[in-house]
Amino acid sequence: MAWRRTTLPGTVLLALLAMLVAACGALTPGSAADPDRPRAVPSATAVPDRKVTLRLTFADAPAMVDALIAAFHKKYPDITIEPRYTQFADYVKSIKLTMASDTAPDLAQFAVGMDDIAARGDILDLAPYRDAYGWRKKFPATALDQLTGSGPQAASGRRLYGVPAGLSMTGIYYNKELARKAGITRPPRTRAEFDRQLAAVKKAGMTPLGVGALDSGGLHLWAALVNNAMPPKRYRDWVKGAPGATIETRRTLAATRKLVEWSRKGYFDESANGTTQTDSTARFTRGESVFLINGNWAAGQLSEAMGKKAGFFLLPGERPGARAVSSGFSVSYAISSRTRHPQAAGAFLDFLGSRQAAKIVSDNGFLPPDESAVPVPEGVLGEVARAHRRVTADDGMNHFPDFAAPDMLDPLRAGVQKLIAGRTTPEAYLDSLQDVWEDRYGGAP
Amino acid sequence: MKRPASRTARRRSRSWRDYRGYLYVLPAFAVYLAFAVLPALHTAYLSLFEWDGVTLGSWVGLANYREVFTDPALRGSVVNALVLVVFFSFLPILAGLVMTGLLALPRSRSGAGQGRRRGMSGYRLLFMLPQVVPLVAVGVTWRWLYGEDGLINETLGGVGLGGWARAWLGDFDWALVAVGLVGTWVLSGLCMMLFLSGVQKIDPQLYEAARLDGAGPVREFVSVTLPQLRGELAVALTVTTVAALASFDIVYVTTGGGPGEETTVPGLLVYRLAFSAGKVGLASALGVLLSLLILVIVYVVNRLSRPERSEP
Repeated sequence: MAWRRTTLPGTVLLALLAMLVAACGALTPGSAADPDRPRAVPSATAVPDRKVTLRLTFADAPAMVDALIAAFHKKYPDITIEPRYTQFADYVKSIKLTMASDTAPDLAQFAVGMDDIAARGDILDLAPYRDAYGWRKKFPATALDQLTGSGPQAASGRRLYGVPAGLSMTGIYYNKELARKAGITRPPRTRAEFDRQLAAVKKAGMTPLGVGALDSGGLHLWAALVNNAMPPKRYRDWVKGAPGATIETRRTLAATRKLVEWSRKGYFDESANGTTQTDSTARFTRGESVFLINGNWAAGQLSEAMGKKAGFFLLPGERPGARAVSSGFSVSYAISSRTRHPQAAGAFLDFLGSRQAAKIVSDNGFLPPDESAVPVPEGVLGEVARAHRRVTADDGMNHFPDFAAPDMLDPLRAGVQKLIAGRTTPEAYLDSLQDVWEDRYGGAP
Repeated sequence: MKRPASRTARRRSRSWRDYRGYLYVLPAFAVYLAFAVLPALHTAYLSLFEWDGVTLGSWVGLANYREVFTDPALRGSVVNALVLVVFFSFLPILAGLVMTGLLALPRSRSGAGQGRRRGMSGYRLLFMLPQVVPLVAVGVTWRWLYGEDGLINETLGGVGLGGWARAWLGDFDWALVAVGLVGTWVLSGLCMMLFLSGVQKIDPQLYEAARLDGAGPVREFVSVTLPQLRGELAVALTVTTVAALASFDIVYVTTGGGPGEETTVPGLLVYRLAFSAGKVGLASALGVLLSLLILVIVYVVNRLSRPERSEP
């Protein structure tokens, strides 16, 4: 009896342990890509003439997506698109798993990390459609360039993994009324002139530049300085992980030093590191700073709150008439390699380049890929749109720097905060970014 | 049935009785196993891989653990968490004791011993409130309070200390303290509730004896109340220390780990590494080490708070 009493629980435990070991064997994390799945869309673009339902998962601008889907359905009554909205923060966390599952939606909004999904073969290479539909003419080259994946083969630009609907861009807003008080009557044409304007505002007793460095305002400012310092090709090589690319150059160092200098001279909001982008924008509308670094997504709000007082310009280069550069990305969509209707999905992506889509995109506060399709709006919205045309014409749109690696955002954000507070040197900051880059793409050869 | 059972049958029924107890435990145990034990073991298993969460992982042995110990950012996060223990654990316990002393004092002085202070439930509600509010809402509220135009800076300005005003959550020297004080605010009420309920169990005769010996209120508190609260102190210390070391929500909402890495805590890094950076193995290793650290601390706390043998 004693024997039984001690061993029954023991046997149960043993059995559980055995089950566990067996389970562990099957739990080798992850799975390899299925070699039988197609890697690219077919070259035929013929839309099937029977009822088709596509599922679309996305995270940005629900109103815009609904309007696009409705307009598309009117054009192709046989194709129905079912949208599924997820909050952005949750979206980027779950999209990899969603796209790797057997029930993946047919279409998905492009996000950081999609390059990994592309490398695994979970989304289709759209290059055949790009050529068949003539997307190079319908979409700005820089917008398509940002969607060619990452790693060594991305730089060739042969592949394409997404198609943009609405575009975004960063720049500097200014309060025309307050600027005039400091003797500033027009946007600066060189970086040196901007330096003088910042000094003039400071001298007039106002806060020159609002920076929401608690989240991403700081890195937008740093990126704006770097965009003007680094040749776009070299910067894009770095973001895309081309072999041997580096952010540690003499000119990026000078750009980074400029940010530190501005901070030391007290040009930023004193509490920049404790202020979110939303808060810094609110303070700007209340006239608590003369300039503000932010993106086109804030233009609607600023136009409403400030009317004609608000203006917009791109951070200028060293010389007048230098190439217009900025940072931006697009709300864009990819096609799952598990879809049974790539042609129907392709027709939707092609529709994004239409004048009709451009109007919807513009109405929802984004910059449309085909800018000629919509009239230039009034006020600050118009200044943003005109600046964007200059950037597109100059092929000057760069990726946001955090696209270089999935874990680049935190070193950037924390690093700029340290630069602003004088807690790190520009050299150490660039070095920390390059470390993250090398961790992902491999060290210098 | 009326026939006397054979020896073996009796033995069987007896052993059935012996094990029937386990059967009652089984549902709870199965749930615990499925949702706590197995995931924990799975995490430990994953920590031995380099895995991005989707593609096939590769076995790396203990390399992830080596990285936790050598990466200054990861080590720094553990140091930050230990600093938070002061704010999440020591200060709330101190505040809880002081409040308990003040609230329980009239009761012991009143002679009857069982007299309740008027408005007691009001105080309880007041101090318990931070526990009831979701931590995310707490974080958002405190972000406003700490903001440049927030109540704290306004107050400082109002009493002529405007020079002290700053964006607390963006200040390299003060951010961790500011976040820690949010934790103090949240957990003080919990500690007070624990101690108040403990005080009610103390035999009034002990107070009477102390008073006969000429003890004042302070002496009474130190010599009678405090030793009698040993068990509650251990619980409070355990719960709050775990809250500090595993903190995530308050930091995520208020500072996101900034400025720089001043308020980055392991919980935040586990989340980021696993879901943003695609380093599930490293995140698991950090999680495992964090759990071990918590277990060790909890063990030490319980060891120290065990009553000495001479006591009943």
